[in-house]
This record gives sequence, C-alpha cells and structure tokens, in this order.
Amino acid sequence: METSVVTIAQLSFDTIDLAELEAMAEGERDGLPFGVVGVDHQGTTQVYNRTEAAMAGLDRESVLGSGFFETVAQCMNNFMVAQRFEDEPTLDEIIPYVLTLRMRPTRVRLRLLARAGAPLRFILIER
Amino acid sequence: MDDVTEAEGLLEFLYAAPVGLVQIDMSGDIAMINPHAMKHLLPLAQGRDPGNLFAMLDRCAPELRNMLEAFEPSRGSVCDGHRIMVDLAPPTDGADPKVLACTVVKLDAERAIACLSDVTLQVAQERRLKQAETWFASLLNDVNDYAVLSVTADGLIDAANASWTKQSGYSCDAAVGRSMADLFDRTAGAGAIAVCEQLRLAARDGWHLAEDWHERLDGSRYWCQRLLAARTAPEGDLTGYTLVLRDVRRDSQDAHDLRRLLTEDHLTGAANRARFQHVLDRELKTWRETGAPLSLLMIDLDHFKQVNDDYGHLAGDAVLRGFAETVAAAIRPTDLLARLGGEEFAVLLPATPLEEARSIANELRTLIEDMRTVSGPHRIAVTASFGCAVASGQDVLARADEALYVAKRSGRNCVQAARPAAIAA
Repeated sequence: METSVVTIAQLSFDTIDLAELEAMAEGERDGLPFGVVGVDHQGTTQVYNRTEAAMAGLDRESVLGSGFFETVAQCMNNFMVAQRFEDEPTLDEIIPYVLTLRMRPTRVRLRLLARAGAPLRFILIER
Repeated sequence: MDDVTEAEGLLEFLYAAPVGLVQIDMSGDIAMINPHAMKHLLPLAQGRDPGNLFAMLDRCAPELRNMLEAFEPSRGSVCDGHRIMVDLAPPTDGADPKVLACTVVKLDAERAIACLSDVTLQVAQERRLKQAETWFASLLNDVNDYAVLSVTADGLIDAANASWTKQSGYSCDAAVGRSMADLFDRTAGAGAIAVCEQLRLAARDGWHLAEDWHERLDGSRYWCQRLLAARTAPEGDLTGYTLVLRDVRRDSQDAHDLRRLLTEDHLTGAANRARFQHVLDRELKTWRETGAPLSLLMIDLDHFKQVNDDYGHLAGDAVLRGFAETVAAAIRPTDLLARLGGEEFAVLLPATPLEEARSIANELRTLIEDMRTVSGPHRIAVTASFGCAVASGQDVLARADEALYVAKRSGRNCVQAARPAAIAA
C-alpha cells in the first residue's frame, strides 16, 4: 500500500507517459491528482478517473461508454483538441485550455497523449 | 442521494446539449457556460479573456456588446438569431464559411442569457437558394408590378411600358434613347456592379439579377430588383436585352431599418462582416472576369485597448464612431468601409491599383492622426496602422492582414503594402 502511494505521487501531470497510464489499474488512476480520460478510436469513453468525475460533477458510470466529445466534452470537439487526435497518430502536447466544468469557465492545462497503434488516446486535465 | 442524482442529471443534460448557453452580466462576464458554447467561442478568443463573452466575440461580433448596452427595457429579447460571420472567406479546406446564430435575452438589470448555435449549413443552403428564390419571386408577383424596358445590344433603351412610368415617374419618351448606364449607375449604392458589367454578364450567361437603389424622377428612392435578360437571334447573336424592374420595397422605415440591421455595424454604421463578405465575394468575381485591379486596406487602431482602459468603453465607442465617420467621408462612393472586429476595419477599393491604394491609405492615416474625439474633459488622439494588398490570385485578405501585421511591428501609425512577388520571394 505504502509503495503504491509513493509511486503515484511521482507520476506527475507533466511526466507520466502513455504506457504507464495504460498499465495502471482503475484504482491507481483514481488516485492521480489530475483528470484522466481515455477515449478509443470510435470516440467512446473507456477511462474516466474519479478526479475528473469529481471536477465535472458527473457520475463515472454514466460517462463510461458514452461518446466523449458529444456528451461530456463538446468544448474539446474542435480543431484544437478532437481534430488533433484525428490528424496526428502520435501526440504528446500540453496546451492551455478553458473547460466548462459544472458550467463555470475554468482555465486548465490539457495534455494530449496518443501513440500510433495504441487502443486508447488519453487526455489529462489539470486545474 | 436523489438530490445528487438530480444534480448530476441536470449537469449531464447541460454538458450534452447541442446548443450553446451562456449566462453573463452586463459587462459580458460569464457566470455560467455550457461546453457547446465554449466549443465555438474558445477558438475565437485568440488570447482574449475566456471568462468574458464580449471579449471572446470582439474579433467577429463586436456589435453584441453595444446591442445589449443600447437595450433599454429591464428585460426582453435583445436579438433573435443574430448572425455572426466567423469566416470572412471560405476556409481553405473547401468547407462553407462558418456562421453562428446568437439570441440574447435580458433577464433583469444585471443578467442576460445568450444562446449560440452553428447555422453554417443553413446559411450555405440559403445562399444557394437565394438566386432561385429571387427569380421565382419575380415570376409569381402581380404582372402590374413589372416595369419592362427594351435595351439595345449597345445598352440604349429603345422601348418602355406603362408600368415604367408608374414605378419611376419617368415618361416612356424620357427614357427612350438614353443609355441604361445613365439611368441606373448614377443612383446605385456603394459596391454595386456597373451597368456595363451587368450587360456583359447577361450577354455571357443569358441573364443577370441585380438589386439596388433607383431614383425616381421626383428624387425619391426605391429598392429595385432587376432582371436583365439577353435576347438572341436563332443563330445565337445578341440582338438586345429585356430589362424587368420590380419595386420590391415601399420605402417603409421598417424595411430600411431591417436592411440597416442586416448590413450595417450597429455602433459605427460601417458595413458589417456579412455585408463585407458579400461585397468582397462579388468584387473578387468581377476582378477575375474583368482584371480591373481590386485593392483592400486592413486597418487597426493602435493601442485601442489603452483608450478603453484609460477613458472607458463609451469613449472607446466614440473614437470608433469618429474613425468610421472620418474614413467614410474620405473614401469614394464605390469604396466600402466595413468593421471586421473590435478595432479592426477594412476598406475595399474596386478598380484601384496597389500604388493608389497605398496613397489613399496614407491620406486616411493622416486624417486619423489629426482627428480628436471629445469625451467629457478629454480630447482623445489615436493613430491607425494600415496594410494594403491587391487581388492577385492569392488570398487578398490574408496578404492585407500580413501587411497590417508588418505595419504594427514596424512601429504602428504607418502604411505597409504587400506585393505578391515580395511575399512569394
């Protein structure tokens, strides 16, 4: 238990990589201090960690399996985010962004992570 | 637990709503906004405050702030489906230029709700239907509304029917023998296509539709829809034209107001983005067909944010109005001044080579430099930077913008011209 907490603390928003995110269990991703969203190539939400659910004010179970860019994150459904995953198979970039968490304009940092051939693309959200 | 579920349900509903909703105060500061609204607004913000609706829309709908300010009742509908032209030119990927529709309702003295939706597709369809509609409208209307003139292949009027006299006040004899250009060019509004050009297009395409002001004998004006149809001999040679005229507006103030609302910037009276887009599109077509040089000035007031910060928005608005008045008074009737963004304007100069455009820009620059706007105890002086470009097969908007950027970088209050060769090199 102790060791796992230490490990998670070292995995920061800026440094964690896609392989580490993929290898983590759901509970471990829940322990991260930033939002983690994993979206498959059909746009379906497959990973939605507890941190993100709390920030958005949503129930994880109702988000999982839904179209992420249609139902939860329309504000990312433009050329600045969603289109980039379509255009760039491999992507690791941090961008300043504004989300509407609980309908409040909220400045965040987004980290967009994708690797050619990987089943999920990850979006990390830091408030 | 039920309360939590209900709150989550409401949030889910607002996250997923396929229409943008924003609640603001009178200065545009956002209290609440849903993701669909942010999806459209954030790409427009370009570094401006994403917590303020008017700041994000300043580049392409600066009029919204003025519309809300000018709305006096404590509550009610400020605008309904007001169109925001996001793209001035069709995007390079071949998509239709993006258009948003915006409805604003004032809730009380402190709050308003704005609703945003993407109407790009509807607008594109409307545009495609418009010519057909104009055509059918003139077919279906009462025959008595028509005035019919016969025009020779050289553009001289050789016959007119009785409705012509009823519509324009001119007797048939007074029209016969005159050139069509003489009758119609004189009263045409800014940005209209010259009659000689209309004749050429009708000869080429078989017909040409135009809408413009026309002056009656007594000096009053009416909005006139004209169908110019080419007549050809069986072997295809042009023998003349038939010109059908309809008085489509009855000089009512309502129609005039509506036209102003649709084509003019609320604050300055300059053409709005929609009108600019329409005229630019048409002038580019004329340029491609005739080769007559078409120049464009992009103008940005220098350090305008400082004016707003130092003297307040009302003073800033007065400066913008003064700027538009000064420029509008100095340009020719065929030129078009448009407000494209908060402090960004454009002047379209048909039949003007680049060198002439540059000297016009320099004259305007001097006029603006000498202008003083009185606001309370202050006499505010401003300067402006100018970028000029001439249509040359590449995107004239982008090149004028680039020249403007160079003008800004080289110290402001100056004129820079983009030469196609210089840009390509």
